This record gives sequence, structure tokens and C-alpha cells, in this order.
Amino acid sequence: MIEYAGHLPGLNREALRWREVSYSAWGESATIALPELDEAQAAALCDHVRSNARARLKRMDTARIVAAIDAAIARLLDREHPLRRKAEHLLPIITGYDRETVRLGLTSYLKTFRRPQLLRFLAEDFANPAMLDGFQPTPKGGYLRAHGPELLLHVWAGNVPALSLWSLICGLLVKAGTIGKLASAEPLTAGWFAGLIAEIDPELGECLAITWWKGGEAPAEPIFLRAADTVMAYGGNDTLTALRAKLPITTRFLPHGHKIGFGVVAREALDSRRAPALARLAAHDAARYEQQGCYSPQMLFVERGGRVSPAEFARHVAQELAALAHRHPRRTLSPAESASITAWRSAQEMGALKGAAELLGEPTDSWSVAHVETPEDLSPTGLNRTLKLVSVDSLDEIPALVAPYRNFLQTAGIAAAPERLFQLAEQFAEVGVTRIAPFGRMAAPEAGWHHDGRFSLLDLVTLTEIEHGAEAAAEGFAPYVD
Amino acid sequence: MTQAEIIDALLAFIALPDASDAEFEAMALKVFAYQFRNNEPYKRFCLQRGRTPLSVRRWRDIPAVPITAFKDLTLSCSPPEAAERVFMTSGTTQGIRGRSYHPTLAVWSRSMLVNFRERFMRGRERIRMGILFPDEAALPNSSLACYLSLARRECGTSDSEVFIGSSGLDLDGLLSALEQAEKSGEPYALLGASYSFAPVLDALAATGRRFALPEGSLILDTGGFKGQSRELGLDEFYDGLSLALGVPRSSCINMYGMTELSSQLYDDGNAICPSVKSGPHWIRSRVVDPLTGTDLPEGERGVIVHHDLAHFNCVSAILTEDAGEIVPGGFRLLGRVDGEASKGCSVAVAEFLAAARG
Repeated sequence: MIEYAGHLPGLNREALRWREVSYSAWGESATIALPELDEAQAAALCDHVRSNARARLKRMDTARIVAAIDAAIARLLDREHPLRRKAEHLLPIITGYDRETVRLGLTSYLKTFRRPQLLRFLAEDFANPAMLDGFQPTPKGGYLRAHGPELLLHVWAGNVPALSLWSLICGLLVKAGTIGKLASAEPLTAGWFAGLIAEIDPELGECLAITWWKGGEAPAEPIFLRAADTVMAYGGNDTLTALRAKLPITTRFLPHGHKIGFGVVAREALDSRRAPALARLAAHDAARYEQQGCYSPQMLFVERGGRVSPAEFARHVAQELAALAHRHPRRTLSPAESASITAWRSAQEMGALKGAAELLGEPTDSWSVAHVETPEDLSPTGLNRTLKLVSVDSLDEIPALVAPYRNFLQTAGIAAAPERLFQLAEQFAEVGVTRIAPFGRMAAPEAGWHHDGRFSLLDLVTLTEIEHGAEAAAEGFAPYVD
Repeated sequence: MTQAEIIDALLAFIALPDASDAEFEAMALKVFAYQFRNNEPYKRFCLQRGRTPLSVRRWRDIPAVPITAFKDLTLSCSPPEAAERVFMTSGTTQGIRGRSYHPTLAVWSRSMLVNFRERFMRGRERIRMGILFPDEAALPNSSLACYLSLARRECGTSDSEVFIGSSGLDLDGLLSALEQAEKSGEPYALLGASYSFAPVLDALAATGRRFALPEGSLILDTGGFKGQSRELGLDEFYDGLSLALGVPRSSCINMYGMTELSSQLYDDGNAICPSVKSGPHWIRSRVVDPLTGTDLPEGERGVIVHHDLAHFNCVSAILTEDAGEIVPGGFRLLGRVDGEASKGCSVAVAEFLAAARG
């Protein structure tokens, strides 16, 4: 059976060219058909979305959009719904993550987009979200109105299931006509979600499209890139640089590059009661989506002086990763992924020969933990459950160890007492960390998260201001003027 | 065994017309025991893997050191400061270059020459050579410079020349040598780093100049492009050489060598790419699963491991960063094993390093 990806209002499926791609994992395989639009079809799609957004979406109340998203999410959360079943069946085959990881991950992630959480997204970015529906008075006098782009293009990357929903939903909340480009590593969820929206609110369904093209090569690419007012893009820095170079200067470009996450464990968190629990949470953060997320931890800085030493804590983490390997088996790795792990393990092993490091886990294990006693700079690991623990005498040493990598910093997981949490947060903020999370939640950001320190909604909109003076001047022209 | 004894044993082994599996095994275990006893970091590495000369009974079980170790550790069975020659890798990671220490070049030179005569000279005593690489006086720590200097000294005619000096490529000198060779009717050999050929090809293409070197002429390239010139595909490269110089692709030989080894591997021409490469009887190559280190069956892609007995003073068994597959008669080199950028949005090592380098 072939699963057709995408959501293409106004286009006839039979008239399109489809590229079939096969995926296999866990002894099963699936074939996904990805749409390949020619230039005329791409132009037609852009027109369709833009004109519908202009004629319909812009006139809808935000509340109606919130209701439609909430209803679509409710269906995806319903484990008996055919689409949810399809997601649980196909996503493990497409992404390689085990069934339980996908099932649990989907549920916890989708919960971020129910009505109360969507209102939080709105409240987080707008002092008065009603400015998305009409002019609202501002404190300084005058009125403000926020408009989303008429055509917002999302360029998604990565294989974390349903990650695309984050930006897709943000776009809808600001009434942006939306075209999403699927990532071939996870080409399904965005299209399913769009299909549900179209079923629930057909008018809204005409205002968003989900498609695919081969980045950098497809004839349709320039059409999409020229048509969009705003482009939200995810990927490595090289991909993003290439993409930016192709955009007109007037297009707003909102890139999200690859990032690195790390954790911090303070000595007060290291006693025989807390350490094992904390190790479990840290292991969970690392195993969740095999460290593929920008928020996934790759390194943990562990403070000396607790009742449990950093070396002992490393053993706890190793133990927890070993336990997780049974419950959530690691997906099959590509040769290049294996090579990354091998290269990283070799480097740790060489360090160990000089007496500076300890490498836990056999090459055949599906996880590795390295531990060093001397402080070292933040650095990426081999991913796919490879974690490095670095001992430090004091948490104060850590900001300097991560500061050189400002452009890659994002999430820090912190286990420390409140006073130290705030102290450290202050220092981390200075060097570019944009999110501080508890262990266990590193890979599950809260609703309204300011991704990479930016506004999810505010960055998308343009404000129109009626100055106080304009309003006053208008009074002079009223028919009722004295 | 003492150093003198191991050197004698190796020179004798190299001199054998060929060696059986059993003979290779016996020699490999001797070399392993020597390195285990005299090379302290390697010993620790082996102990960490739970392998000692007592437990290792097959050459395939001798622990192979990742080549990055040559950057991190001093791998030498004799005092490194007493080395006659130290070869260093050209590529650096964070300013550190891999090093191989040679207390004497006797074994290295013998290994190079016996193999070079057999695989490149093919029975000929001498040939006029043009060399596209600086000589060993200019680059004393380059194993390739040493290799090419030795080739010229021992197998080149007296009118052989080096065309890369302190002022770069001497294109005019090269062109006139090629012209002479073309007229003389005597076979000519052009040898150098793969990337040194690219500007020559570009210059010839720009002027539309072509040569038809006499029959029996040969080309030897090695080392790939390493970002030193534009990257050429193998077919594009050998077609270009063949077209510009009139040397058939079957006479364009690629040498695969590494600073971390003392022996080289060759193919028998590049009529078909990727070619099959093999070494002499004192080097054996395996292809392994990088994670587990286990041998992969013929035809399956993995990482290449070399056991080069001639590299007696450092470590004979190395895990390369080259991808390959075992095929009848040797192995195919399938490029470098590059770690993959992550499939998600986390930074992977390669991207991180690239950005850190600016």
C-alpha cells in the first residue's frame, strides 16, 4: 500500500507526478509517495493558498482557528482514530524509532496544542491577542493590528515525528496562508494534520498546503521561494545559507539551525536518593529521539562535592541507558551514523589511555557513556545515545566551557537548588543559552516556548499602527464635528 | 626480540617471493608481541580491549588502533627523539598532526622499493620521471616526498625532474619535458599527488594542448584531492589524464598510502573505477563493521583495517577512516567514512568542527 504525503488543495492528485520512496525498520516497510510539482502546479498552488488566505483566513476570528486546531489535535490524541492508528503504525517504520517511543512521544507532544495551550501561545507573544482580529488600543495611545504573512513557507528538516506541527500551528494562529515543505525523513504528520483541518473546517483547509520538492534541484523551488512573504526554515547551517541566498531581500527569513543541548548537575542533587532518579531522567532525555533534537543533551557537567561523585553518577547514567535499551531499543543506524559513534568512541578511548577519561559501554551496546575528570569545552558526541559527563569543581566553571559555542547553544537541563538555578541561568543567558529545562523534559518544550530565543508568533507578524494623532485628526473630519 | 632482530626478520620476510597465510600469521604475531612489549600506549590500548600476545592467536585479532591515535599518542617502540625520520600527516585536527616514528628507514625503504618495482615499474629497471610534488629536502616530514624521491633515485633516469618547487608548479618546464618525451619515443612516467594533476589538466584544457606520450608511459597519482584543488570524480580525472597526455587509463595507476603505514597499496590501472587495490605479502587488509570491529563478508561496505608488518616501530594494525569492500584480489576504496550530519536538528561533530574552524 502506498501512502500519499501532503495536502494540495486545488490540485488534482491524478495530474501530479509522485516520487515513491521506501522506508523500512523493525522488519516492516512502507512506501510513501511524495508530490513533485512542476512550475505551473507550484504557481497554481501558491495562488490558491494566497488568494484563499486573503479572502477567507484573514477574515476569520482567531477563536475559530484555535477551535479547528484543537479539534484536529483531539483526533490525533484519540488512540482509536484511524489517523492516529496510521501514525503509530507508519512513523516507527519511517523514522526508525521504536513503537513505544513514537506513541509516548506523540501523545506528550500533541498535548502542547490543545485549546488552553494554544491560548498560552497567543498570550505569550501578544499583550492583547485580539490585535490579530482587529485594531486594539495600546498603552501609549493609538491602536495596533497584527497581520500574519499572506504566504508563509515552512521548510522542515529532520526526522523527529510531528516536529513540523510546531511552526505549522504557529503560522495558522497568525492567519498565515501556509505552504509547508516536508522533510523526507518524516513526510507524513504535517499532511495528515492539514487533512484533518480541511475536514473540520473546509474553508481553513483551502488556506494551507503541504508539499515536497528536492531541495536545491526541483524546478518548482524558485516559484515557492519567490512567492513566499516569509520563510521559516530548519536545517544545518550550510542548507540554511544556501536557502537564504536564493530568497529575495524583501522576504523575511526565519532560520533555525542545528543546535546542541547540555545538562548541569549540581552537587546538591547528588545524594544516594536523588542521583539514581536524576540519572534516569537524564538517560531518558538522551534516548528520546536518539539525541536528534536540538534540545537533546549531548554533554552533562557534573559538580564535585556531592555525596555521589561524578564518576558514580556516570555509572548511574550508564545503567539507566542500559535499562532503556531494553524498553526502547535503539533504531538501526546507517553506516555513517555508526561511523560517527565509532569515531567518538575512539577519541574517548584515546583519552582514556592518557588517563583522562573513562568509557563505559561496549562497542556492541546501543549506548555509550564517557566520563572525564578534567573540565573540557562543550562538544558534540556521536549522537544516538552517546553521552559525555564532565566533572567540574564548581558550577561557576561551566559558562566559560560553553561560551565559545554561543551560536550553537540552546537548551540546558539544570538540576540545582533555586538560588543556584537563577544564578546559573543568569550566566547562561549571557553566553547565549535560550532555554532552561528540568531533566526529563529537555526533549519536550512547553507550549509557547520561545524557540531559539525568538517569538513563535510575534516574529511572523507585521504590526500596523494607528497613531494617537491620526485618530485625533480624524475627529476633525467627522460629520458630527461642531 | 630486539629491534635489530625484528628488523632482520622483516627484511627477510619482505624478501620472500610470497608468503602463505601461516607465514604471515607467524610474523604478525611476532611483530604484535614486539609492539605490545615496547609501545606503552599501545599496550594499554590492547589491555583495555582485553588482548595480549598470550590471548591473541590470529592476526585478525590483533587490536587495530584508530588512525586518530597517531595524533593523540606517541606510538613508538623506540625513543621518539632518536628517530631517523618522523613522518607527519598533512591534515591537521586543531593544529595536531599524526606522526609515525622511524628509528631507521631501512624497512620502510625496502618495503617501498620492492613493491614499487613490482607494481609500477613492472620489470623495467629505470624510466624517465616527472614528479609533481616537492622533494624530500623541501618536505622532510612528508612520507610522500620521501616515497617520490626514493622512486626517482632508484628507478628514475638521470634526466628525471621535479616540477614543483618553492615557487609552485613549473608548468613550462613540465610542458617542455612532455614535448621531449613525446618526440623521443621513450616511455615517460608522471608521478605526484592527485591534486597536483588538477592544475596541469586545467592548464592544458585552457590552451587546448594535448600530448601523446610514447607507448609504455605511466601515470601514478595518490592521495586524492584533499581540498587542495577542485574535487574531480574518478572517471572525470582519469579521462582527463588519458585525453591530455595520451596515456590509457589502464596505465594510470593509483597508489594508496598513508603516513601511518610503511607500505603502499596499488591498483593495476584505472580502466574501471573504483579500481581493486592490493598490497604486497607483508600487508593484509580487512573490511570491518566500524562499531563492532568484526569482519564483513566480501562485497559488503565497511571500514578498512590494514595490518602492515613493515610498520614495526609504531603500530602495525590500524583502523582507517576509509570506506571499502573486500573483492576478489583485494579491496575497493569507496571514499572516506564521514560521520553523518544528524538526521534531526542537533549539531553533529562534523558540522561543529567545520564551524569552529570558521
